[in-house]
Amino acid sequence: MNNDNWHYDTATDFGLSFLDRLRRCPREPDPFVYAARTVSAIAIRAAMRIYNRFEIVGRDNLPGDRSFVMVSNHASHMDTVALLAALRLRCVHSAYPLAARDYFDANRLRLALTAIIANVMLFDRDASGRQGLNHCKELLEKPGNVLIVFPEGTRTLDGQVGMFRRGIGLLVAGTSYPVVPCYLKGTFHALPKKSLIPRPSRVGLVIGKPRSFEQIEQSDSGAVQISNELHDAVLALSSETRRQTSRSLSKEAYQ
Amino acid sequence: MSPSAALQSEIFRIFAFLTTGLLIVGGGVIALIRFGFAKNVSHAWDSYRGWLVMVPIISVSLFAGRETAICFFTLISVAAFIEYSRATGLHRDLTMTSAGLVGVIGIAVAAIVRDPQTGAPGVYGLFMAAPVFVSVMLVLISVLRNRPDGQLKVVALSLFGFVYIGWMFGHVVFLANARNAYGYLLYLLFAVELNDIAAYTCGKLFGRRPLCTNVSPWKTREGAIGAVVISALFPLAVRFALPEFSAIECVIVGLIVGVGGHLGDLAISVIKRDVGVKDMGTLIPGHGGVLDRIDSLLYTAPLFFHFTRYAHGL
Repeated sequence: MNNDNWHYDTATDFGLSFLDRLRRCPREPDPFVYAARTVSAIAIRAAMRIYNRFEIVGRDNLPGDRSFVMVSNHASHMDTVALLAALRLRCVHSAYPLAARDYFDANRLRLALTAIIANVMLFDRDASGRQGLNHCKELLEKPGNVLIVFPEGTRTLDGQVGMFRRGIGLLVAGTSYPVVPCYLKGTFHALPKKSLIPRPSRVGLVIGKPRSFEQIEQSDSGAVQISNELHDAVLALSSETRRQTSRSLSKEAYQ
Repeated sequence: MSPSAALQSEIFRIFAFLTTGLLIVGGGVIALIRFGFAKNVSHAWDSYRGWLVMVPIISVSLFAGRETAICFFTLISVAAFIEYSRATGLHRDLTMTSAGLVGVIGIAVAAIVRDPQTGAPGVYGLFMAAPVFVSVMLVLISVLRNRPDGQLKVVALSLFGFVYIGWMFGHVVFLANARNAYGYLLYLLFAVELNDIAAYTCGKLFGRRPLCTNVSPWKTREGAIGAVVISALFPLAVRFALPEFSAIECVIVGLIVGVGGHLGDLAISVIKRDVGVKDMGTLIPGHGGVLDRIDSLLYTAPLFFHFTRYAHGL
């Protein structure tokens, strides 16, 4: 046997403590973390279905064959798990919600919980965040990854969809990565910022048609243009939910 | 094994006093060197701090009873298997890693249930046949995947990890079922650590010629010989823990620990060198990984187990 054929792919985070491993992204597979994430994903999906009557519209719009970006409005911690719930169960290990490092790495428990349950990718909210964009691009180049981005950069305080930051534009300008706009309805009421216990109110997710921004050049103005376009796309989905709900209601009423 | 049995067991009490005394003396010596002679003892202190955490955990798990001891040793086994899989890259194949872990946990099940025929704790036959079942399971996974590429590698890595870590360390797990469980387990743990410390000390004092340069450059022949001699005599000093053993049997058991401890240490060094890592993990500060800590036990435990079983029955 030729000895050269046998390679050991030692874990890239070998020699790091458990928490330092969780800080990295993408993380090395770990049977216990994967098991915990799968179990919690099932539990969260079941709980949201029952407690929040969670509904997903337009799941077919998710590209099945390649990596893509999910872009959504942000009102609540529930948003991330709601978007993850739209993916297939085995995809939750390769879905990376971008999370602000200053908030999510603030204490160990928060980091461990969010990294294990939601597989978050820590991201600097300040200027050094631009370096993180290259990291995101590397992830998107590989097949099967999903990036979850909340371009507002923070949870809304008044329930309105705020301005989209241009980071998302810089990420996807001039590339063929599919960007899927999503609108989350009701999470602001169910679990607003500074509240701990979710309310049993209705939560819905509308997934729009994917789009890509190959034509737009990589510049600040292009990024702003993309961000505005995505903002409008997400808002357009919000009106769609209203129409759909009223239609389904009226149908029920006549039956 | 149970809390009341532990309190009534003279062996457990003596070992408890012995380890407490050693920890106090060790701490005193480190403090003396640090403050009396103003020398840098950070390395020794890290190691000592590790022991300060490990000794109470081991003692409590043995004190609480057979089931907790089995669960505790199985947890060690699981942690060591994960370290091994991360070092060799087996962890990228989650199914095979999980299958190996299922085997490790299967050992615990075989140790914890009672034999339906004899009523004795632990199903010895199942424990001994475990590698057969695990190898069948691993190859079956490849068959069910319908994917031949690269399967021999992951099956081999997983099977070796299971046999070497899960099954061989499983002998320590199974020792919890012995009539003289306290004597055997405490002697084994104590003797293996003494062997390590003796090799280190003898090597520092008399070490001239290297033992096995390519595998472990810091080990010396003098250290190894000194440790084997001390280990061979140690059971005679703790005859109370092995009451059934004759003097010759004591020396044989001591030699098993002395020679086996070194071989186990070197065997893990081979794996580490081949893979290209220094320590197997970071779980125990000052000691490296779990696998670095239990490496000597991996060789010693099966030899000790089967010698004891042959000579006196469990």
